[in-house]
Amino acid sequence: MTDVKSGPAPSAPDIPTGRSRRVRGRPQLYTSYAQDMALLDTPAKRVSTGLLVVLALALSVVLADRSLEVLAGAYVLAIGAIGLNIVTGYAGQVSLGHAFFVAIGAYTAAALSGPPGGDVIGFGVAEIWIWLPAAGLVAAVAGVLVAPLATRLRGLYLAIVTLGLVFLGEHVFKEWKALTGGPGVGREAAVPQLFGYRLDEDGPLGTREQVLYLLMLVLLVVFAVAARNLARSRVGRAFAAIRDRDIAAAVMGVPLTRFKVLAFGISSCYAGCAGALLYSVSGYVEPGSFNLLLSVQFIAMVLIGGVATVSGAIAGALFISLLQPLTRALPSLLPVVSADTTQTPNVFQVETVLYGLLIVLFLVFEPRGLFGLWVRARNYWKSWPFSY
Amino acid sequence: MTATIGERNAAGLTTIVTRVRERALSTPGAVALRHKDLGIWREVTWSGYWERAELVAHALLALGVEPGDRIAVHSENRPEWLYADLGAVAVRAVTVGLYPTSPASEVSHVLADSGATVLLAEDQEQVDKALAVAAECPGLRHIVYLEPRGIRGRYTDPRLLPWPDLLALGERHRAEHPDAVDRRMAAAEPGDVMTLIYTSGTTGPPKGVMLTVRNVEFAVETLVTGGGFTSPPPSERDLSLSYLPLCHVAERAFTVWFNAAAGVQVNFAESLDTVQANLREVQPTILFGVPRMWEKVLAQVDIRRDSATPVKRALTRFWLRVADRVGDTLVRTGGRHTAATRLLHAAGWLCCYRALRERLGMRRVRYAASGAAPVAPAVLKFYMGIGIPMHEVYGMSENTAVATANRPGRVRLGTVGEPHPGVELRIDEATGEIMTRHPGTFAGYWGNPRATADVLDADGWLHTGDVGEWVEGTHVRITDRMKDIIITAGGKNVAPSEIENALKASPYVKEAVVVGDQRPYLVALVGIEPDTVGEWARRRGVTYTTYRDLSGKAEVRELVQGVVDEVNSRFAHVEQIKRFAFLPKELDHEDGELTATQKVRRSAVAKLFEDLVEGMYAR
Repeated sequence: MTDVKSGPAPSAPDIPTGRSRRVRGRPQLYTSYAQDMALLDTPAKRVSTGLLVVLALALSVVLADRSLEVLAGAYVLAIGAIGLNIVTGYAGQVSLGHAFFVAIGAYTAAALSGPPGGDVIGFGVAEIWIWLPAAGLVAAVAGVLVAPLATRLRGLYLAIVTLGLVFLGEHVFKEWKALTGGPGVGREAAVPQLFGYRLDEDGPLGTREQVLYLLMLVLLVVFAVAARNLARSRVGRAFAAIRDRDIAAAVMGVPLTRFKVLAFGISSCYAGCAGALLYSVSGYVEPGSFNLLLSVQFIAMVLIGGVATVSGAIAGALFISLLQPLTRALPSLLPVVSADTTQTPNVFQVETVLYGLLIVLFLVFEPRGLFGLWVRARNYWKSWPFSY
Repeated sequence: MTATIGERNAAGLTTIVTRVRERALSTPGAVALRHKDLGIWREVTWSGYWERAELVAHALLALGVEPGDRIAVHSENRPEWLYADLGAVAVRAVTVGLYPTSPASEVSHVLADSGATVLLAEDQEQVDKALAVAAECPGLRHIVYLEPRGIRGRYTDPRLLPWPDLLALGERHRAEHPDAVDRRMAAAEPGDVMTLIYTSGTTGPPKGVMLTVRNVEFAVETLVTGGGFTSPPPSERDLSLSYLPLCHVAERAFTVWFNAAAGVQVNFAESLDTVQANLREVQPTILFGVPRMWEKVLAQVDIRRDSATPVKRALTRFWLRVADRVGDTLVRTGGRHTAATRLLHAAGWLCCYRALRERLGMRRVRYAASGAAPVAPAVLKFYMGIGIPMHEVYGMSENTAVATANRPGRVRLGTVGEPHPGVELRIDEATGEIMTRHPGTFAGYWGNPRATADVLDADGWLHTGDVGEWVEGTHVRITDRMKDIIITAGGKNVAPSEIENALKASPYVKEAVVVGDQRPYLVALVGIEPDTVGEWARRRGVTYTTYRDLSGKAEVRELVQGVVDEVNSRFAHVEQIKRFAFLPKELDHEDGELTATQKVRRSAVAKLFEDLVEGMYAR
C-alpha cells in the first residue's frame, strides 16, 4: 500500500457540469449553482416576465402617441434610477450628484450628434451606437474622478460633497455657452439615428413616438438585465458587503477603493446614457434642468421604488413619471388647484408636496418601497396557509 | 412465485448488486441518488453509482475480505453508505449497520458481537467511538473514514484509511484483476448472509438478525416489484427521501431495495434536523415515516396554524375541520373517495391543502407509510384528510419487513393491514401472538442459536412477540408487544401502547409511558413536547426557563391533565390513567432511555424514574 495515491477521489460522472437538468415540479431542488443563481428560476417568473414584455410591446400599438412619449421618458428615467440604485442602493454610497452625471451624458451626446459649424459645438456624428456609449463613457470617467471622495467620506459627508457637485455643474453648464447654448436658450439634443435611419421621425416602423418608445423599451431591458447580472455577481456581492459595513467588508478582503470607484463609475455610466437618451425624446436640452430637483427626483424614484432592487427602480421611475400627467389633470377635477403658476395652490406646488409626502410616507411605512409592498403581498400568499 | 426466489437462472443469481449493475448498463445516465453538498443537490447517475460500488468491492478484495466477513458501516445516510453496502454484498461479505447515535458501549457490543473486520466510519466522532472500544474488537483490521476533518494528520492509528485511498486501492486492484469482483459475484449463493440488522434492543443487548440473499430477494419481489406497498408499483419516476437510519430494516427497504429494484431516485437528507426543509425541496412521491415523525409534523401544523394572522388562522382552522370530516369518510370507505368528499377535497385543495402539503413537502406524495412502531389512528386520519394516501404497514427485521400492509383503497385505520400475498400469517389462539411464515424469514440471530430457537419454531413459524387480532377476517390489528402487556393487580390485561399513543396524539405530549403491572391502577410518566408547550406558554404569558421548569408549571399540568382526561373518557375504567407525573428531562438515546429508533426502553425508564412512579402510588 506504499504507492497508494492520496488526494481527490477518482472522478465519477456525478460531478455536476455546466449543463444540468431541473427535476420536474421541484422548484427548490437545485442540482447546480447555475440553477440556484438563475434570474428566472421558476416557471411562474418566466411566464410573468414574458407577459410583461408582451404587454409593454402591445402598449406601443394601443396607446396614443402623447402617452407613449411619457412612457418612453419614464423608461429612460428608469435607466437613470437603476444607475443611482447601483451606487446608493447596492453599494450604499449616498449620492446627490446624479443630475451632474446626467448632464455630462446629455451634453456629450448632444455635442457629438450636433451639426458642425453651428452656434454650439457639434461633430455631426448622429449614429446612436456611437454617441450613446460615448455619453456613458465620459460620464463614467467623471464618476471615477469624483469617486476618490467617496473612498474618504461616508454617509452625510458624502451626500454633501456630491450635493456640491450639482451646484458646480449647474454653474459650469450655465456659463459654457459654446456647449450648452446658455440658460434660457439651450440647444438641440442628440439625434437618434441608426445606420442612417432617423428614429425620431415617422417612418415605416410607426410614428416617431412609437419608434422612440420601442427603442427606449429595448434599451431599458438591456440596461436592467445588465444591472441585475452585476448585482448577483462577485462585484454585486462586494457592493452589498460594503453597504452593510465597509470595515467588515475590508476585513473580508474586499478592496474598498476599487469597488467604490467601480460603483461610481458604473452608476455614472448609467446616468450618462440616461441623460443622452432623455433629451433625445424631447429633442431639446436646457442647462437649467440639471439642478438639485432632478437629483432629488432620482432619489425619490429609488426610495419609492425600492432600494437595491432593479425592478423597484423601474417601478419608482414609472410611478414618478406617471404622477406628473396625473397632477397636471388635477385642475379639471379639483377647481381649488390652479394650473397657473402665479396662483396658489398650483399643480407644481402640489407636485412638489406630493414628492416629499410620498418619500416621507414610504420611509416611515414601507422603507423597501413599492418593491417591498410587492414582497409583502407575495410573502402573504407564499406562506399560505401559515404566517411564516 | 416463491419457487423462483433466490434460484440461480441462466444469468446467475439476482441480488441487489446485479440489479444495480443492470441499471448501470441499461440507463447509465439516469439519476440514481442525490445528496446535498454545499447547498446543491449533487446527482449520482447509475453508472457513477455502480462505478463507486465496484471500486469499493475491489478495495475490499484488496484488503483481503473473504466471503462471510462482516463490514460495519457507522454513518449517517449518504451515498457512501450504499457504495459500501453494495461493495460488501458484491464480494459476498455481510453489511452491518450501526446507528449514528449509538453510544460507545453499543458500538462496542455490535462490533465485538459481529466480529467486523472493516469499519466505515463517517467522521471523527464515529472514529473516536470505534478507537475507544478497539481493544474489545480484535478482529477489526481497518477503519475507513469519510470526513478527514480532525483525523488527517492527527491520528496515527495504523488501521485508519481515508475514503479516497480506499477508492484508489480499488482502482489499482481493478487494473490488476479486472474480473475479480464479477467472479466473486457469480459465486454468490441464495443462502449467503447479506446483512446483519441489529435489533433496537428494547429489552436486552441488540441481537444481529441474519438476512440472506434469498430473504432480501423475497422482500424485494413482494414489497417493491410486486407492488406490496404502493399501487402502481414504484418506478424510475418516483423520488424518495432517505433520512431514517439505514441500519434499520425499514429504511434499508425504502432506500436501498426500492432504489435498486425499481429505480426510485433516492435523495439523502442532510440530517435528521433538516428533514422538513429537505422534504420541501425534494417533494418526494414515496414517503416512509415513523410515528414520531408524523406526530411531530402534525404538532408543527398546529403551532403554525395557531400563530398565523387572524384571517389565515380562521381559514386554516375551517379547512382542517373539513379535512377531518373528509378523513372520517375515508376511514369508513377504506381510503376511497366518495363524490361528496371528492368535492370537499377539491375545494379545500384550492384554498388550503395544496399549499399546506407544499409547505410540508408532501405535495407530490402518492404513497405515505407509517411503521416501525404503533401510531395513534387520529394522527394518520389527519394526513388522509388533507389528501395524503397514508398506510400503516407492519413487519420486523426477523421477517425482512414482510408481514402486512394496508393496501391503497383497502385501508382499515387502526390495523396494520392485510398479509402480503405469499405470506402465511396466523394468530395463536391461546396467546394471541402473531406468527408469520414465508421465504423472508431470517436465518437466525448471529451467534445466538438460543435466542433464534425462542422465536423460530421447528415448522418455520416466526413468533413475532406482538399480540394481535383479526379485524373483519382480512386485516390484522396489533394490540401490543407481548411482554409489554400490563396485568393489573385486579387481574385485568391492559395494552399500554394504545393508551400511550392516544396521549401522544396530542401535540403537547411527546412521550408517554404507562406503568401499572401488578399495581392497583395505571399511572403514566409524561414528557411534554417542548416546542408546542413552549409556544403555548409563550402565548399565555407563562414564563419559563428550562424543560424541567416548563414541566413544573401549574398551567402546563392543567393542560396535560386536560389531555389525560380526554383520553380517559375514551377508555374503560381499568384502562384509565389515575395519576401522571412529568419526566424531568427529555429522553435520549445516549442516556440509554430510548433505543436508536426512538422507542422507549420501558425497563430503563421505569427504573430510572422509580421514585416518580412510587410517588404516584404512595399518595
